[in-house]
Amino acid sequence: MYLRAGIDSLPRMSLDSISLARSAVPGFAIAIAVLIAGLLLALTVGRYPVSLGDLLSVLYAKAAGHRADVAPAVESVIWQVRGPRVLAAMLVGAALAVAGTAFQGLFRNPLVSPDILGASSGAALGAVVGIYLSLSVFAIQAVAFLGGLIAVGVVYVIGASVRSRDPILVLVLTGVVVGSLFGAGVGLVKYLADPYNQLPAMTFWLLGSLSATGVSDLLPLFGPVAAGAAVLVALRWRMNVMSLPEEEARALGVATGPLRIAIVAAATLVTSASVATAGIIGWVGLVVPHLARSLVGPDFARLLPAAAILGGGYLLLIDTLARTMAQVEIPLGILTAVIGTPFFIWLLASVQKNWS
Amino acid sequence: MILEGDKLTIGYPDRVVGAGLDVQLAKGEVLALLGPNGGGKTTLLKTLLGLLAPKAGEVRLDGVALSSRTVRERARLIAYVPQTHVATFAFSVEAVVLMGRTAHGDLFARPTSDDRRVAAHMLDRLGIAELAQRPYTMISGGERQLVLLARALAQEPQFIVLDEPTANLDFGNQGKVMREIRALAASGLGVLFTTHDPNHALRAADRAYLLRGGERIAEGPVRKILTRERLEALYGAPVQMITDGSGTAFIPG
Amino acid sequence: MIDRRTLIAGLSAALIAPRAASAETMTDAAGRTVPVPAKVSRVFPAGPPAAILLYTLAPEMLIGWPRANRPEECAYMLPEICTRPEVGRITGRGNTANLETLLALKPDLILDVGSTSATFVSLADRVQEQTNIPYALLDGRFAGIANSYRSLGALIGRAEDAEKLARYTEDTLKTITGQIEPISVSERPKVYYARGPRGLATGLGGSINVETIELLGRNVAGETQGGLANVSIEQILLWNPDVIVTIDQEFAATVRNDPSWASVKAVRDNRVHLSPKMPFGWVDFPPSVNRLIGLWWLAKILYPERFPEDLRALTQDFYSRFYHVTPSAAQIDHVLAGRD
Repeated sequence: MYLRAGIDSLPRMSLDSISLARSAVPGFAIAIAVLIAGLLLALTVGRYPVSLGDLLSVLYAKAAGHRADVAPAVESVIWQVRGPRVLAAMLVGAALAVAGTAFQGLFRNPLVSPDILGASSGAALGAVVGIYLSLSVFAIQAVAFLGGLIAVGVVYVIGASVRSRDPILVLVLTGVVVGSLFGAGVGLVKYLADPYNQLPAMTFWLLGSLSATGVSDLLPLFGPVAAGAAVLVALRWRMNVMSLPEEEARALGVATGPLRIAIVAAATLVTSASVATAGIIGWVGLVVPHLARSLVGPDFARLLPAAAILGGGYLLLIDTLARTMAQVEIPLGILTAVIGTPFFIWLLASVQKNWS
Repeated sequence: MILEGDKLTIGYPDRVVGAGLDVQLAKGEVLALLGPNGGGKTTLLKTLLGLLAPKAGEVRLDGVALSSRTVRERARLIAYVPQTHVATFAFSVEAVVLMGRTAHGDLFARPTSDDRRVAAHMLDRLGIAELAQRPYTMISGGERQLVLLARALAQEPQFIVLDEPTANLDFGNQGKVMREIRALAASGLGVLFTTHDPNHALRAADRAYLLRGGERIAEGPVRKILTRERLEALYGAPVQMITDGSGTAFIPG
Repeated sequence: MIDRRTLIAGLSAALIAPRAASAETMTDAAGRTVPVPAKVSRVFPAGPPAAILLYTLAPEMLIGWPRANRPEECAYMLPEICTRPEVGRITGRGNTANLETLLALKPDLILDVGSTSATFVSLADRVQEQTNIPYALLDGRFAGIANSYRSLGALIGRAEDAEKLARYTEDTLKTITGQIEPISVSERPKVYYARGPRGLATGLGGSINVETIELLGRNVAGETQGGLANVSIEQILLWNPDVIVTIDQEFAATVRNDPSWASVKAVRDNRVHLSPKMPFGWVDFPPSVNRLIGLWWLAKILYPERFPEDLRALTQDFYSRFYHVTPSAAQIDHVLAGRD
């Protein structure tokens, strides 16, 4: 290649002089610090008093293979109640943040959240139908998960069958419409539900909560989240290009159609699994990508991992608040909205330079 | 190597914009596409790039139909410089240019040091190396156009297609881009650009292709094709031609 | 430090050992195997029906109430038990109780009385697994109350007292159903159970909330099976019940003057009855053992000739056996009037 010959004749440039805009290291350091702080706080704080000493001796005892000399209730709290809840909070937070980041790139709009294609509405409908039919907890979660996948599937099929020069816009509009439809379905099921036994359960689920998380919830959550997140993280370099207008992306050599399906599928997988486990938790997929962007910049190669780490820490901190702030549990969805809204307004005002 | 369109019928799913069009572009030459708005310039350009499927006829590159190449292969042969636009995310200039290297890596590839070298070289070549770390959204329109050009060059293509490259530029930058286009052809690339300004065609192109209402009105070497009469017929409006010792210029009448 | 550790270790061992030694289990109403704790002194009620069941049998073991009681209600209960703290409802019903809070309260047993559908069975299993505290799910329906008492008695080591309450339940049910049996279903009065301030919510066929009504009369909303539901006034006009039973004072007061209800037979015949509700509803609210006295009340309303028993004496008896109090005559008047 004629250009290559030219390049090879240039003096060798060191990577330092063409290093990235500003180092992402401080940003990542902050994200990791938030996660670790959240983890330590979450494990030691709670309604049941567990001291740091107890925590460490239980962990050490497990690793060394002998019984810890703490009250058995403490072990129950650490392994069965608080431990799984903490892990779930990290997974759900990371999942929603990663899905939100991916969708913001895919839809070329920083105001997009993972619910835009109706995954949450579909999962909500699945869950309330499951509660209405008095299914077991596992079955309710499974139906919710399927509901999320089906909703996005419907949106995608309808969107793809409408021929248009702007496939993204069609997807968004279809998502809004289908999401509304499923939302109406949720309203109907709530109306038909038994106000004594079923309705409180539905209401609480719809507001988002990790309160009954046990070990058995972790595998159904971890599987889809790991799979979907792995795909998104692997594709993060391509996401930069996908955030360009359709024609530019194709001219740069990217097969936008299949890649779009892959990203939507992966993001929907993680979102559906999160909603099936924890109910509807908004604002995480919207706020955390922005926070991450202000820490490491808009390049998706760095943004996606940073959002995952930050999302895990963010939801962990909020969930810790949810279970310790008052005598009763505060639904997660309410807290994320109450904290997220002013946060977002502040972000809008101060960090505007990061997007046009 | 030749990029050619053979008896193309171009248009969109719901309408035909032009028919029976033949276009050729060889490496090392510059072809200017002129015509009034809505005449089919951009449609033809996108069809030649492979972004729009021709409704009839075929686009061939080096004798092979463009449609038989994957999107990735095409990107390594033809590059597209769109009109500048407002971007959603404030990627750094260097990150933008690096995106030009996408077709040289596989699906999960990260930019290699080789990629970074090419990107840096292209920035340097266009004289905008000092902009590398600036956010793309915070540079001037002219600089943005050059960044998009650098990105296209980073694809290391054989052909470059530019859509109205001077549309949003100030007077000084217009000249700069036109000079750059000549330099690209001189270094062996085939260049196609659309323009509203016959003067730019005169200055930078070897051949001109006049397109009106989806029909080719004339095609040939610029000095021969760009006459006052032809331009008046093309734009349907009076045109004035001024000649002096240093060159020719056209002004709307 | 070392002394404290050995002390804790010793206590833990002491606590664990008897638990391990007692490998006794029992089967609850949902068919689940529940380990019987060696000694029970603290019980956590998973919802209002469980709280009441426990209060009637072993009030001192009640850790707290799902919702705090109102002072007016405490006049009809043991004051020091009535004022025990609010502990929230457990997982699945609205989920206000945190599992850690539950563990911090150190219950020996979790008691749940109510629905045995798959949702609640799986919830019970999960909580038992996560907290290692035995979770018993018992039946709250009339037919199951006696057994529930016996099961609970076995679990908490109060078999004798439980047997007495179980006998009372069985005798009451036998007497009342025996008296009505000769009356064919079509001759039984049509009853509408009005819930809510506008009276437009009711219980469908088979719902535990209308068990009292369906045992004694005909539930106008009984054709459709289900739980609670909202209905329209037109539907009620169509049903044209002979008797209306409600627990809502406001509804009882306004329905007489409401033109849309005027043509309903029960309203025309002035047969709108306000159910007593102190300290717990007699017909519902919540659907637990508190309804036993309501059976007498409604029986006397629907079939006055067949039930000559003295309601005041029955009330005295019931309140002393189940609520552990002796209400004064004035208090009984107050209760029977359906007042707060």
